[in-house]
Amino acid sequence: MKVIVIGGGWSGCAAALEAKKCGADVLLIEKTDMLLGLGNVGGIMRNNGRYTAAQEMIALGGGDLFELTDKCARHRNVEFPGHKHATLYDVIKMEPTVRRYLLERNINMMFETRVVDVETIGKCIKGIYLHDGTYIEGDVFIETTGSTGPMGNCLRYGKGCSMCILRCPSYGPRISISKRAGVEDLLGMRGDDSYGAMSGSCKLNKESLSNEIREKLEKDGVYIVEIPKEDVNLEKLNIKVCQQYALKEFAENIVLLDTGHAKLMTSYYPLEKLRKIKGFENVRFEDPYSGGKANSIRYLSMAPRDNTMKVTGIENLFVGGEKSGLFVGHTEAIVTGTLAGYNAVRWGLGLKPIQLPTSLAVGDIIAYENDMKESVEGLRKRYTFAGASYFERMKELNLYTINNDIIEKRAKTLMMDGFFNEKLI
Amino acid sequence: MFRYVDCIDAGSVYCPCELATKGECIICSQLHGKEFCDCLNWKGTCIYQEYIWNGGKSNKTREFRKYSIINKEYLRDDILKLDIKVTKSLSRNLNNLGSFVFLKNEKDIDPYSIPISILDSDVVNNVISVVIKKQGIKSKAIFECEKEILVKGPYWNGIQGQKYLKELKNSSCLILCRGIASAPAVLAAKKIIKNNNEVYVMLDRGRSRENFAKPYFISLGCNVEDVSFLDYSGELKEQYKFEIEKLLKKWNFKTVLSAGSDEFHVKMINFIYNIDKYINFATVNNTTMCCGEGICGSCIIKGKNNEKIRACKQQYDPKEVFLRGISK
Repeated sequence: MKVIVIGGGWSGCAAALEAKKCGADVLLIEKTDMLLGLGNVGGIMRNNGRYTAAQEMIALGGGDLFELTDKCARHRNVEFPGHKHATLYDVIKMEPTVRRYLLERNINMMFETRVVDVETIGKCIKGIYLHDGTYIEGDVFIETTGSTGPMGNCLRYGKGCSMCILRCPSYGPRISISKRAGVEDLLGMRGDDSYGAMSGSCKLNKESLSNEIREKLEKDGVYIVEIPKEDVNLEKLNIKVCQQYALKEFAENIVLLDTGHAKLMTSYYPLEKLRKIKGFENVRFEDPYSGGKANSIRYLSMAPRDNTMKVTGIENLFVGGEKSGLFVGHTEAIVTGTLAGYNAVRWGLGLKPIQLPTSLAVGDIIAYENDMKESVEGLRKRYTFAGASYFERMKELNLYTINNDIIEKRAKTLMMDGFFNEKLI
Repeated sequence: MFRYVDCIDAGSVYCPCELATKGECIICSQLHGKEFCDCLNWKGTCIYQEYIWNGGKSNKTREFRKYSIINKEYLRDDILKLDIKVTKSLSRNLNNLGSFVFLKNEKDIDPYSIPISILDSDVVNNVISVVIKKQGIKSKAIFECEKEILVKGPYWNGIQGQKYLKELKNSSCLILCRGIASAPAVLAAKKIIKNNNEVYVMLDRGRSRENFAKPYFISLGCNVEDVSFLDYSGELKEQYKFEIEKLLKKWNFKTVLSAGSDEFHVKMINFIYNIDKYINFATVNNTTMCCGEGICGSCIIKGKNNEKIRACKQQYDPKEVFLRGISK
């Protein structure tokens, strides 16, 4: 059985890996020259409820990628405003590590290759077309193309292309495969009723910061400094993707995290103003290159799905990551991608795709996000284990814990320990 | 369903064009009445961004300029070759696949402007050569030009399916020519040979003793065979059906360029597709053009799904337009 995964971000990697573990023949197609997509400028794992989610996935046998992010950690147990026990992975080491891991598992990968269209028979996708017209057939398809960009969207709904890691001008725009197959996209909204949301952090070149800041960052993983009163811009919080970081503290302070680069926890920051702060006199942006002006726009292309991650209205298309909902973060992408990969293989075998139980945080978030998306209010929210309304819900439902034994016991009680490690073919 | 859609001007200095300002851009969904990105064919530049940064205006369109005719030669009573001295940049811009210009006698009004393919562009001496057949009012007016002529260009959409010719490298190409349409095929052959391809030309003499393009093809190093494709009822002669089939097998052509009328394209493409459906086609663009900017609508043809194609700007896959009665 041939599973084709479109998009090599965290979610696509998780889906490809899981489909391979289940025994399928997997082809992963990525438009740029690197895996992980925006994950190349991510880095924050295991903060707040993400700890629970990562441990649940490990207990379920779907924790390979979490173990890799742990392996590439620069700092563990970091605290910063509103967030506890975060692990910060090294964004520079992460991509090659994941790429080698997938290659060792014989997952076929195509880079610098863009999928632009589909061939359908009834409600089934028969094959996909690459940008040069090449046609490739498959049995089941997983779309993990995300919802970020392309340039026209970043311009209409943001402040223009800020030259982010996705590099649309070099590799071409993201195409919504579900839309090409005839299913309309859902759109995330902002507080002011406009569409999309802006990525919530940038990367500063660490070498461009003062020795003092760099040393502190490398020792503690975090550096916080107050923003001059006249430059505090609370409005910027409204446009942010990452509602878990849309706290007053992030508007009033510069919060830097050491992820290899210095991760600046704000969507963008005018360079001139940034350089006024002590130790930032020589600072420059690493990603997006024009982080002084803007950041990428996201949530403009989600496919309607059920809780097995299958797209509503197409028989053999599954989705993960931001393509599958208003999820924020790599943990969420890996969780949804893994389930999409697993269910794609089940569908291919003629078995019924499964939902994850809502007694697990990883199952609950998938079901909860889907319910919430029904309302306009829900479309304004983002869903992450790391904060905002969903972390509150985790706490209310007693899903949040950092006790590994409890999490393992949960999986065992459900008879789901090692579930994602089972070979289906 | 994959559609081979391309705008010949996308990403050039003429993009965004007037179509963008009116919500009719061929490539960009945002400049085609939609509110979200859904690029039909990425050309390495965001047309929407270019448009907004240009202050919501199109880039300047091409204009007529006056140039000198340095040589006027009658190849037949009704076939005229003109050599025109132009600027360096225009000759360089016209030294491309599918190049054409609009020509007009200075004393005539705008509707006289006629699209003519470039036979050759000499980028050292800045001279372009064109061949015109006396057919109607506009071509007759060009025959009256003596020392000077108005030229508007460069335009590049004189050949459809350019992608298939551009991607040919270290390979071979078959060119089937008939009549005046051989002119753009000469420039195409020059470009194809530059990419280290061998070119085989079957050249229909038509009503003349010899096709005017023959010496050009020979000087480029093409293998040229004189033929007379059609019988009295206008059908492809058995002799040449056999010959083409033999050549396809021998040379293993990946792409065939059909340089004749639209009826000629239909005959050739349908015949060859039945032998080998994987062969790609390029065709000389015979659509009626008035403005060359996609505005006037005279170039609009219908694609296989009944979609509008502005053929003076838009590239299509000739199979999608000329294959008849065969499901792909």
